Amino acid sequence: MNRLFNSFKSRIYFDQYLFISITLLSIMGLVFLYSASQGNIETTVKQSLFVVLGLILMFLLSQIDPDFYKNNSLLFLIFSIVLILITMIFGKEVNGAKRWLDLGFFTLQSSEIVKIALPVFLAAYLYDKPLPISLLNTLISMMVILIIVNLVRIQPDLGTSLVIFIAGIYVLFLAGLSWRFIGISFGTFILSLPFIWNNFLEPFQRQRILTLLDPNADPYGSGWNITQSKIAIGSGGIKGKGYGEGSQAHLDFLPETETDFIFSVIAEEFGFIGACILISTFFFIMLRCFFLAINARDRFCRLTIGGLSLLFISTIFINLAMVVGIIPVVGMPLPFISKGGSSLLSFYIAFGIIISMATHKKLMQK
Amino acid sequence: MIDLNETIIEKKNFFNRLVFVYLFFGMLFLFFLYRTFSLQVSSFTDYEIASLENKTREILIQPRRGIIYDRNRKIIVNNRPSYNLILKPSQIDNIDEHIEMIGNYIELSEEDTLYTKENFKRKAKLNRELVLKKNLSMEEIAKFESRRYKFPATFVDERYSRENLYSEIFSHAVGYVGSLGDDSLEEILNDQNLRSKETIFKYSNGYIVGKTGLENTYDKKLRGYFGKKIYEVDASGKLLNELKEIPAKNGEDLYTSLDISSQIIAYEQLDKRRGAVVAIEIETGAIVTYVSSPSFPINKITNGMSQADFNQLLNDKDKPFFDRAGQGRYSPASTIKPAIGLYGLENKIIDWEYTIDDPGFFVLPEDNRIYRGWKKGGHGNINLMDAIIESSNTFFFSLAYNSEIDELVNHLSHFGFGKNVCIDCFIPDDGLLPNPEWKMNTLNFGWFKGDTVNMGVGQGYLSATPIQLAYYSAFLAKKGTLNKFSFIQDINTTQEDTFMSNNLVDDDWKNIHKSMIGVIENPKGTAGRLRDLKNYAVAAKSGTVELVSTETKEDYQIIREVEGQRDHAIIIAFAPMPNPKYAVSVVIENGESGGAVAGPVAISVLNSLINNE
Repeated sequence: MNRLFNSFKSRIYFDQYLFISITLLSIMGLVFLYSASQGNIETTVKQSLFVVLGLILMFLLSQIDPDFYKNNSLLFLIFSIVLILITMIFGKEVNGAKRWLDLGFFTLQSSEIVKIALPVFLAAYLYDKPLPISLLNTLISMMVILIIVNLVRIQPDLGTSLVIFIAGIYVLFLAGLSWRFIGISFGTFILSLPFIWNNFLEPFQRQRILTLLDPNADPYGSGWNITQSKIAIGSGGIKGKGYGEGSQAHLDFLPETETDFIFSVIAEEFGFIGACILISTFFFIMLRCFFLAINARDRFCRLTIGGLSLLFISTIFINLAMVVGIIPVVGMPLPFISKGGSSLLSFYIAFGIIISMATHKKLMQK
Repeated sequence: MIDLNETIIEKKNFFNRLVFVYLFFGMLFLFFLYRTFSLQVSSFTDYEIASLENKTREILIQPRRGIIYDRNRKIIVNNRPSYNLILKPSQIDNIDEHIEMIGNYIELSEEDTLYTKENFKRKAKLNRELVLKKNLSMEEIAKFESRRYKFPATFVDERYSRENLYSEIFSHAVGYVGSLGDDSLEEILNDQNLRSKETIFKYSNGYIVGKTGLENTYDKKLRGYFGKKIYEVDASGKLLNELKEIPAKNGEDLYTSLDISSQIIAYEQLDKRRGAVVAIEIETGAIVTYVSSPSFPINKITNGMSQADFNQLLNDKDKPFFDRAGQGRYSPASTIKPAIGLYGLENKIIDWEYTIDDPGFFVLPEDNRIYRGWKKGGHGNINLMDAIIESSNTFFFSLAYNSEIDELVNHLSHFGFGKNVCIDCFIPDDGLLPNPEWKMNTLNFGWFKGDTVNMGVGQGYLSATPIQLAYYSAFLAKKGTLNKFSFIQDINTTQEDTFMSNNLVDDDWKNIHKSMIGVIENPKGTAGRLRDLKNYAVAAKSGTVELVSTETKEDYQIIREVEGQRDHAIIIAFAPMPNPKYAVSVVIENGESGGAVAGPVAISVLNSLINNE
């Protein structure tokens, strides 16, 4: 019996640390979402289905050998770009943005797929390139990144495009982007900031940045979201107001409680203690990914784990920094917590791939 | 392909770079944690308050204003309930239909209907109430109440308006109330620890404040404290549910020393003539009668009157809004004589035996200017007592001539001249007690001896309000010691004034009283015709205020053709003698004779006060 179990265990690819912490996070997420959605059972049940589906998907994807991802990465990327193009043509328009593809049972946010496909593709592209990465390879990678980022940006989905950009750059950086290139492009970026400000940002985006710098300038207008979010978090105190007792969330003072500002609801109802527990869980996953990345079997796996985990971390940080008013408001969900099937599934997929990369060892090493 | 050696370098490189990025994120997370900590722990209190302010709104509950009583516990000012028809818009689907249905039972004006329709949506959204009609009649209430079941979202609500039961009688004493401006409202809210920003003013909060008279002086006591209903609200400001109710604390009732019967007598006796009556309970300094005439209808002022009616009152040449009792300035004229006599005694310029020869006029030695008495040929050889009884001018011209102006002014100030004699009067005037310094500063003229001489008979610049004259009267009656006046009985904050005399003895005061009784009782007294109007002894001194200086009686006949040029009639009195309980002062503008015109009014008021006890 025991032997049977051991033989089963040796045939499956599984990381109990990540699996348990992500499951835990998902359950916490459902609990939080129930309150944040004003006790909306439909929302919570729907989200639960995605969680179950996501966990299964994560498990299944981790059984696949990394070579499969490596060999098919271009195919995945093309597939996800096609999805974006289809969305741009047939997508469902919500609030002036075409981000969603209606699949009947589920509306897919296509940018969530390319978010995963791009780091994997870049890892596959760069893993066998000699060090330091040549300028040509750097430029090719940059071009792929920028094309995809811009495709997402014109949907428009500034938050996701930003994350995709960051994720792409991570892979490049981890793969060995030359410091000189980093220095030059960083300098160029700084110098072109005024140009970007004037030509690439929509007026409402500029307003958001200005609001960040001085949220009290217009507390009931553009500063409303961030003011209310800070009140929600601050009034939570150490122990919080209690589950379902957050007045900021339940009396509609707080906007987007189910998605962008769900952390504010958590902080209001569970206080600093609750916030710390949540952040610790994220931090644990982050450290586990670090460990897995440096112990991965080859360069492709290292880069993929590094890129995807940093994608995850960046998403968390952008969301959290936004709700406490460190950075401007950009639409960004909190992974595994916020409502939204596409975002949820994309992170299960990402972790499925991470576990696959981490658990499949080379035959000769076994 | 990269070789093994390169793989080792690559691995190290990757490790370094990953550590670099993770450290970067580690720092960001630490910063984030710090930020969360500072929000939730360091600034917790601020944000807790902000959150509380966010989710609560306070609706004020108006306190009932205190009732004002007279000294016999009879109500002067009460709160009259009125009834309004109120809608709860959030529970009504079709406002047009609803109004039409109600219109079947209660007549609704176009204005009311329009207002309701305009404000319906907004009020419904915020779950607030809306007044459909104000001041329902009893019939309308009955009609509506019997059909109440048809209108679950409509109800009759009670509110109070201020009602003075003696509208014209107490206009100046009690004063009126009115709605208050935003500034004073904020002040009152601050005073009661209410945050005006979070406060919702319901229609029924229509807050009133005392504007004049006692309503103003004792506004804080009468007004009470707002109660409040604290509601939970959502972000749109919609009232969700009541969290807490703090009941209003009603205003304290005000028990005044005013006497309704004497007040009515004074009002009737003045009979819309321009003038004032003030009567005092001597022992306590309590004001029992305070009437200024002509008066105005106080309830109409409080509860709304047409602009035309209001303008008519405002432009009335008799100035009904002017409080003559507290703010009218009149020369005391001959009523000053007992005080001047006391000055002579105090400073040993004269004694009761001292006489002068009164030829009917006084010649100022400096410039031979002649100061005339009222009686041609004079009063002959005359002492102080007779000079008061017969009201000899020459005696007092001469006495004043022999006095030091600064000492005289100081002396008169003890009798209430030139100062506020009342604790709780509404904007009391101090009258004018002139001295050389004042004359220089105001008129840019030096003080003449003639000014002092004029002051000896209460003419010239010297002027006093009726309440000051009443104080003077009571001060004489109580022999130089008196409480400051007040409208409130049993006041704990009595302020006593005592005249510190060096040379006056009780007999001097008694003789003054005696001479003032003689003003009425003595055959030569100037107010002899009051003799039969009462059944007790009264001490009095009448006065006639010359507005235009005339040499002869014939001249006066000419100027009196114009009513406004006729002399003012004035009298002070106290009774019953020898133990006076009440002091009174009466001024009737252009009444001509202190004894004959002002006198009967004073006696009527004293009768009412003394005989009704």
